[in-house]
Amino acid sequence: MVVDRSPRLDLVFHALAHPARRAIIRQLSGRECNLSELASPLRMTFPAATKHVRVLERARLVRRRVAGRQHLCRLHAEPLKEAMLWTEQFRRNWEARFEALDSLLDEMKSEEQSRIRRR
Amino acid sequence: MNTTSPKGLQVSTPTDTTIVLTRTFNAPRRLVWEAMLTPDKMRRWMLPPPGWTLTICECDAREGGALNLAWKSEEADPAMTLQGVFTEVVLHERIVHTETMALGSGETIGSLLEKHEFAEKGGITTMRITQTYDSKEARDAAIASGMDQGMEACYQQMDAVLAQPG
Repeated sequence: MVVDRSPRLDLVFHALAHPARRAIIRQLSGRECNLSELASPLRMTFPAATKHVRVLERARLVRRRVAGRQHLCRLHAEPLKEAMLWTEQFRRNWEARFEALDSLLDEMKSEEQSRIRRR
Repeated sequence: MNTTSPKGLQVSTPTDTTIVLTRTFNAPRRLVWEAMLTPDKMRRWMLPPPGWTLTICECDAREGGALNLAWKSEEADPAMTLQGVFTEVVLHERIVHTETMALGSGETIGSLLEKHEFAEKGGITTMRITQTYDSKEARDAAIASGMDQGMEACYQQMDAVLAQPG
């Protein structure tokens, strides 16, 4: 097992474990934004938003470039995909169980219906 | 982090110590409740890992009631046990239990608090399971536990994701 000891993945999950940072990612999935564009929908001060962007940068989820006086942020989705791969097998294992549960529930529903009809 | 299947199971990790699973079922919530918390029904869907058999399945879904599961494998009997106590029960709506998993040797491999919530609308039940682990490491280990199975299938799915722009 290599992936579960990845410090890089730890950074990604830490970065995602805050609603403001998830909001920033959602916003950046549309287009490149400057820092004040990111701060205003979050009703956050500029320094607070900058702090969140730095966490995202450390996780390599966001890349920042300076254009004149503007700091433009861009989403870098590659680490997200690695994180998704990590949870995917867990999800599949549960989904297999829930598909078995789907069939069981169908059976329980038809048994119930036939009990009602027999009355 | 969210991953979604076409069938609708969503797995997310909203904090460092939690995993949230959300899934809808095409059945009223009293049936989902019964299917998930009655031993003879649980045996039908709690599919063990390949080569394992569920040997004990006891579930007393009342406050203070016990949850007791054991599996055996070709190497060990029991190979793993899961024991817990129901701490909060609101019939057909919400149920919370503790959970400690141990190897056959008795060595504890993790404990968590599991909350199930059921909401019904038009005969469709939305179930939300929130697992709260003692630490981030325990949470991560739980997610990683299934990683060695089906990695190839996983990578194939990733190829499709990576092919999307962005």
